[in-house]
Amino acid sequence: MSDIELEKKLHQLQQQAVEAFSAASDVAALDAFRVQFLGKKGQLTALLKGVGQLSPEQRPLFGKKVNAVKAVLASTLEKCQQTLCAQEEMAAVQAQRIDVTLSGRTSSQGHTHPLQMGLDEISAIFSSMGFEIAHGPEIEDEFHNFDALNIPPEHPARAMHDTFFVQSEEKMVLRTHTSPVQIRSMLAGEPPLAIVAPGRVYRCDYDVTHSPMFHQVEVFLVDQGVNMAQLKGVLSQFLSIFFGKTVPLRMRPSYFPFTEPSAEVDIGCVFCDGKGCRVCKETGWLEVLGSGMIHPNVLRSADIDPEVYSGFAFGLGVERMVMLKYGIPDLRLFFENDVRFLQEVGR
Amino acid sequence: MKLPLSWLLEFVKLDVSVERIAVALTDLGIEVEGIEYPAASIDGVLVGQIKTMQPHPNADRLRVLQVDISQEQPLAIVCGASNMVEGDKIALATVGTCLPGNFNIKRGKIRGEISLGMCCSEVELGLADEAEGILILDVAAQVGTDVAHYLGLEKAVFDLSITPNRGDCMSVYGLARELGAYFDVPVVLPTDSNVTSKAQIAVPQVKVEDKKDCSLYVARCIHHVEVKSSPTWLQNRLNACGMRPVNGVVDVINYVMLELGQPMHAFDHDALHGSIQIRRANDECIKGLDERELSLNSEHLVVADDKQIIAVAGVIGSLHSGVTMKTTNIVLESAVFHAARVSTVARQHGTVTESSMRFERGIDRSHTMLALQRATSLIVQLFGGQVSAVQQCGEIQERQHVIRFPVSAIEARLGVKVPECTDDVLVRMGFSVQRVAEKLTVGVPDHRHDVRIVEDVIEEYARVYGYDHIPTVLPAIAMNVAPVKPLSLLQRVIAQGFTQVINYAFISEKQQRLFSDTPTQDVLLQNPISAEMSVMRHSLFPSLLANAQHNLNRQQSHVCLVEEGRSYFMQEGHFQEQNQLALLWTGEAHADTWYQSSKAVDFFDMKGVVDTVLKQFGQSPRWQACDDIQGLQPGQTAVWQQGKRRVAVLAKVSQSIATSFDLDGDVFVASIHLDMLAKPRKPQFKALPQYPSVTRDLVFLFSKDVIADEILSVARKAAGKTLQRVSIFDRYAGEGVPDGYVSLGVRLTLQTNDRTLQQAEVDTLAEKVVSMMIKRFSAQQR
Repeated sequence: MSDIELEKKLHQLQQQAVEAFSAASDVAALDAFRVQFLGKKGQLTALLKGVGQLSPEQRPLFGKKVNAVKAVLASTLEKCQQTLCAQEEMAAVQAQRIDVTLSGRTSSQGHTHPLQMGLDEISAIFSSMGFEIAHGPEIEDEFHNFDALNIPPEHPARAMHDTFFVQSEEKMVLRTHTSPVQIRSMLAGEPPLAIVAPGRVYRCDYDVTHSPMFHQVEVFLVDQGVNMAQLKGVLSQFLSIFFGKTVPLRMRPSYFPFTEPSAEVDIGCVFCDGKGCRVCKETGWLEVLGSGMIHPNVLRSADIDPEVYSGFAFGLGVERMVMLKYGIPDLRLFFENDVRFLQEVGR
Repeated sequence: MKLPLSWLLEFVKLDVSVERIAVALTDLGIEVEGIEYPAASIDGVLVGQIKTMQPHPNADRLRVLQVDISQEQPLAIVCGASNMVEGDKIALATVGTCLPGNFNIKRGKIRGEISLGMCCSEVELGLADEAEGILILDVAAQVGTDVAHYLGLEKAVFDLSITPNRGDCMSVYGLARELGAYFDVPVVLPTDSNVTSKAQIAVPQVKVEDKKDCSLYVARCIHHVEVKSSPTWLQNRLNACGMRPVNGVVDVINYVMLELGQPMHAFDHDALHGSIQIRRANDECIKGLDERELSLNSEHLVVADDKQIIAVAGVIGSLHSGVTMKTTNIVLESAVFHAARVSTVARQHGTVTESSMRFERGIDRSHTMLALQRATSLIVQLFGGQVSAVQQCGEIQERQHVIRFPVSAIEARLGVKVPECTDDVLVRMGFSVQRVAEKLTVGVPDHRHDVRIVEDVIEEYARVYGYDHIPTVLPAIAMNVAPVKPLSLLQRVIAQGFTQVINYAFISEKQQRLFSDTPTQDVLLQNPISAEMSVMRHSLFPSLLANAQHNLNRQQSHVCLVEEGRSYFMQEGHFQEQNQLALLWTGEAHADTWYQSSKAVDFFDMKGVVDTVLKQFGQSPRWQACDDIQGLQPGQTAVWQQGKRRVAVLAKVSQSIATSFDLDGDVFVASIHLDMLAKPRKPQFKALPQYPSVTRDLVFLFSKDVIADEILSVARKAAGKTLQRVSIFDRYAGEGVPDGYVSLGVRLTLQTNDRTLQQAEVDTLAEKVVSMMIKRFSAQQR
């Protein structure tokens, strides 16, 4: 073969190879073409075998040409390979396409009872102020529930409590308030005492606005020099944190046998900001709790000297606080335990 | 208690708005529950006179009236009533009036006839619940004036809630005294014309058995009384205060009680025998004015004659001695009965009356005689009669109670200095106040039974000074930093998808017996709301089942509930309260979704939750089967015991109980006795393993009687301490497995911490396990 013929063949081969590489439909086909044209037994190698027929002067020249073709083909191959790889990757990704708007795999979600949320939150606020959490029995004796709290047997306030009595030899009651924990804590410890006592209480009263079982939190502080201004301070701090905004506070003189002076505590209506609405009966105020300075008779019955120590105490109705905080209109919802309600309000 | 404004103003001339009075009452510690404006509620309703009455041209049942209201022209009114005649005076709601119930009167055309108002019935005026026809007024009513005025309706009535310590505020006069002191306006006592007693009317003979029970008793006779209905003004006042008029004498007595706070009683003198005695009862009975029979004993104080009891002192009179329209001779009583004696009987018999409420809270003895005189004078004035002299047992004046204390005590308790001028308000309220150096001497008036100690006086100062003026100060509390608490078991269960419920602690005895066979340990209520809430629960399960029923009836397909609460037991005469956590799961374990179809809950779903939360809480429960727990299905009940004490139960509720709650599907429950859980162990660091672990799976055929717990413990024992974990990874029964057998895959994870285990070592250990399985359980390796 003459060099012209050889060169012609080389040129043809380059053209064929570039066409074949570009036409390859996938990486496998491309690889087959690589073997066909550039492999050890491929067409380019076969063409190189014809170099022996050339003159010694022509040989290096032809070698250069072959190398140039090799380089062109290698780069074409590389390009085609990249394109095909990218295409294949794209196809693979397309094949894995999903509907990302379908719901995730979840397990069912639980909910805390709104009253539990209230109890936990109230306890946590007082706990963070330095009050210690205490509990007491729900089946109580009359001493802790009444007598020690300055409510003697014939006292009219005793009738107001609508007490549940338990069948037993000694007179036992279901505690009508969490205040007995006050007595128990004072008898068990020494001042200074800063206690928060959450729990269930019972009254024999059952209608739209009364539940025979409900929840209270008793809070009290006994130390030297405790006064009413401090009671007001702790209350306003608590109420603002609980309701998440500064709420106006009003104390009204009132009467509880276990405190003297006693005060009913109102807050500016959280629904209308004190402007007057249906919930606050147009007064702008909501009654939230009873409070006062612990009566000296109460301190005495818990072996604490009222000449040395004084204290304040108040009792929160958890149902009321939670109803106000979450805008729950009906007390009965709490004990109906309809999961639709619990899941709506409970976290 | 209701306080009509006009009555209040008779005693204290306040020149302030109704709203200002309400604020003053609140400041004074008297809660204003509401204010009614009865007159304003029918503003625009005028006295009209029917001039002519014609049938309506287009309606048989209607009439067209011409009504005069003292304007130039009479008004045309279409009216549907038929109980009136021409000339009648009626209550006419004129155009623009808004009647109670937000009923607006507009100019209208009724079947073609113009109507310029409405003739009102008592219902429309808000005076009665029902009425026949329209209200016909007295001929004396003045045409064109306000019907509210004619009816004597109050401008305002305060609805007050009086705290039990303030008996002195349970009267119009008492409230006037407080407000007078507050506004610094003088207060006048009601005056009464002197009634001259007649010598020929015998004085009633009175004997008081014990001065402690009745420290003052005054009485007199009034003979030849002509008992009639009381006059309208008096009836209006009683109505405004929420009391029903009865007859003239009773009404006067009630009137004076509302006015002065002194309850009284009137007896029919002709029904009495001999003298009046105030004594303890002696197992006797009385039929009260309310026609209820009361049995009385030595705890109860009574008023009696020589023959029988004529009244329960301070509570209620006897039916036979009561004053009626036929009575002509009466005995009038005014007394100070001991508060505790009155409250005892009122409480025990549930006969709380206006009278008993006042005695319970303490009577102002300085009004006892005054009230008798006032009532006498009103009775004689209204119904005639001749009066006897007054019989008096006991002294009117008692020694004044005096309290002495340093001025500084006020600041110490309130946290603020109260100005000296506050003394003047206390003086206006009836206290005597002396300041010498830094010492206060306060004399308490008769009507303030509630003021006995220094703190009571301090409250008076606070009340008068104004609670609003007390500053807001945070106390320095000794820091009691509580340890940071880990999540509670309850919170962990909620995190597993359970919804927390809170149920009443009392259930029915029938429900109690579903899961408890120890009635001797029941804590029963003496006075339950109902039989459904009569016993303190032993178990939380009955309430949870009721909750499940409630929710399944409301289209819930998946009910997962948890409750934390106490259970209550009576054990050897002692009450025990246990803290329990109970779970219930029924319906679906999980719902239909695009990735899985729904499945009914089973035992192991529930066990998984319980084990997970207990493990998170640092507990390692060991469950064993238990077939004899009340209400739970044998074969699907597991317990976790620690010695004799049962820490937890996990079970399927027996089908019959589930069915009784209308629950068709399987119901799984668990309960954990929280007081028995050991404190979670503090996690301890252990060096991580240096060498790889090897797992080896072995599959055996076991008899179905062999339980997993035993297989695993035998494996643990056989493989020794090289075994890190052992679990059952496969379970199969069916084709290829003979009946009565089950194929179980046991996975051993082996590891040592000093070298990599050699194949031979692993083989030896696995061999050991295999041979033990064969030896202990006759298992066949597959």
